[in-house]
Amino acid sequence: MATPQTSFDVVFDENNQEFSIIGAMRPESAAELAGCTALFEQSLRTVRGTLYLNVKRLVRLNNIGFRVLADLLIDACENKPGLKISVITSSVVGWSTRKFGTLSAVNDNIIVEQYDADFYPGQAFVEDDAIISLLRTQTKLTWRHERSMLARHGLKPDMAVADICCGIGDFAVLLQKEFEPGRLVALDHAKPSLDYARQVAKDFGVDGIEYVYGDASEMLLEDDQFDFVTCRHSLQIFDRPELILKELFRICKPGGRVYVTNEKNSHCLGEPRGESIQWTYNEVAKIVAHFNHDIEIGPKSRRLMLDTGFKDVKMESFMVTNMDGDPQDFADIIEAWKNLFAGKMATMRGDDPDFIKRFCQGFDDHIFAALHPKGYAGWPIWVASGQKPL
Amino acid sequence: MRAGADQAGLNTFQPLLSVDMDIGVFGSNWAYCDRLSSYVARMISHNRTDSLLFANLFSSAINELLETIFRTHSPSGRFTCSVARSGEIDRVRLSLPADAEVKAFYDTALARLTQSDAPEQYRASLFSEGPLDLSIGLFELAVDYDARFSLDLEIPDMLHITADLALDKAKI
Repeated sequence: MATPQTSFDVVFDENNQEFSIIGAMRPESAAELAGCTALFEQSLRTVRGTLYLNVKRLVRLNNIGFRVLADLLIDACENKPGLKISVITSSVVGWSTRKFGTLSAVNDNIIVEQYDADFYPGQAFVEDDAIISLLRTQTKLTWRHERSMLARHGLKPDMAVADICCGIGDFAVLLQKEFEPGRLVALDHAKPSLDYARQVAKDFGVDGIEYVYGDASEMLLEDDQFDFVTCRHSLQIFDRPELILKELFRICKPGGRVYVTNEKNSHCLGEPRGESIQWTYNEVAKIVAHFNHDIEIGPKSRRLMLDTGFKDVKMESFMVTNMDGDPQDFADIIEAWKNLFAGKMATMRGDDPDFIKRFCQGFDDHIFAALHPKGYAGWPIWVASGQKPL
Repeated sequence: MRAGADQAGLNTFQPLLSVDMDIGVFGSNWAYCDRLSSYVARMISHNRTDSLLFANLFSSAINELLETIFRTHSPSGRFTCSVARSGEIDRVRLSLPADAEVKAFYDTALARLTQSDAPEQYRASLFSEGPLDLSIGLFELAVDYDARFSLDLEIPDMLHITADLALDKAKI
């Protein structure tokens, strides 16, 4: 007796006219998909204009399942005049864009779209090659603090660890060397960053890190896999941080911990020229908010974690300063921020030259404070970790 | 034997894993195709460039092979699924009990894969009326996954089908 393949969920969101299929759909016969078929046909009755078929998290699909879906979509377009169907695939899954793409050749009203970096409008800012050196320097300075903090938040050797939004992977390399996890998966949604990360690991002879491509808000990693999950400086550059936290919670084992770091950029400080510095960083918070991100999220981390369902939330903060090693490192970070915030982002927002000049001045003053023999310059970071209940 | 998979380089392949069972057991439950493909994919993916993407692709590919064998095999004998690796190539070797009719099915199917219109045949099968072509999984591997097949029909009451897959760099 065959066991029906029911390891998938189907959901219809009437507001968005979106029919979503999640999981693995490998039936032995079309009859096993009767429930999916019925829900699709029922949903179709309420749809006007465009129906969205979301298969971003349909990880596995056999040809029997594909045939059932294809018949449903083609029949719908043929029998409902004016209906268009947009199939939303994910490059993370690997096979789906090509497979569903065959439908467009059969019916013009079916289009297949692979969602990509546009899903996160701000991601383009952090995928620039020029940002890589900034990220490396940032990690170098924050690691001085986090190295000891990670243990306080529960990280131990031999744990299964995931570093989500790993960027260029330098933090994962440090984790691998310092904590020797039993397994270390480092995930990011920027292929150039992952390519760089793999090369860095290879150059440094660091083995055992699984660099994987994925969307942090819709990961294909399975539930309850990791003892310790890190996500650093990333909730603040997503427009929906709660979705990321929900995913971090999902992949964490019950009893495991999720560790996040975030900033509150308006609290960056320096002396001398403190007033100018403060004005500029208040403007940083505003320009980042303009692009629907919250770079002030640091102190909100506790509430966000509790709202997600974490228990035993631990929170602390630290200040990266010009006294953490070479002050030029700190100055280099600020120079890169200036180029990002007062350069690309201000231009995209359409800021006038007088504003940009004053905006730049605060960064220049921060650099002045960092390099001044009696100066002090700081960049505060908040660390929060929470346990997934047993 | 049909040319395709690199038999000359056989010695360079390192065995990764092998699963052996009675074909009657394998054929008793459709879910075994999914479970076996998911297990094998997970076991061999960790040191590929992107373990998650590779596992997805490999599972999808090998599942189609297993579903084909689930539907077309002789009723008694041993079934073996083994995977070996040489660089970017993963070699899946499936051994199954096969009488003359079963052998003819695979021989004909693999011959169709070498035809110049194999992509068109595959897409026509995907959207045809009636039951799915039993060869569709093999077509998918050849067309979408660029698998290279070979078939060994020489052993009495048994056949070996070999598929070479280079999914680590695949542009699927």
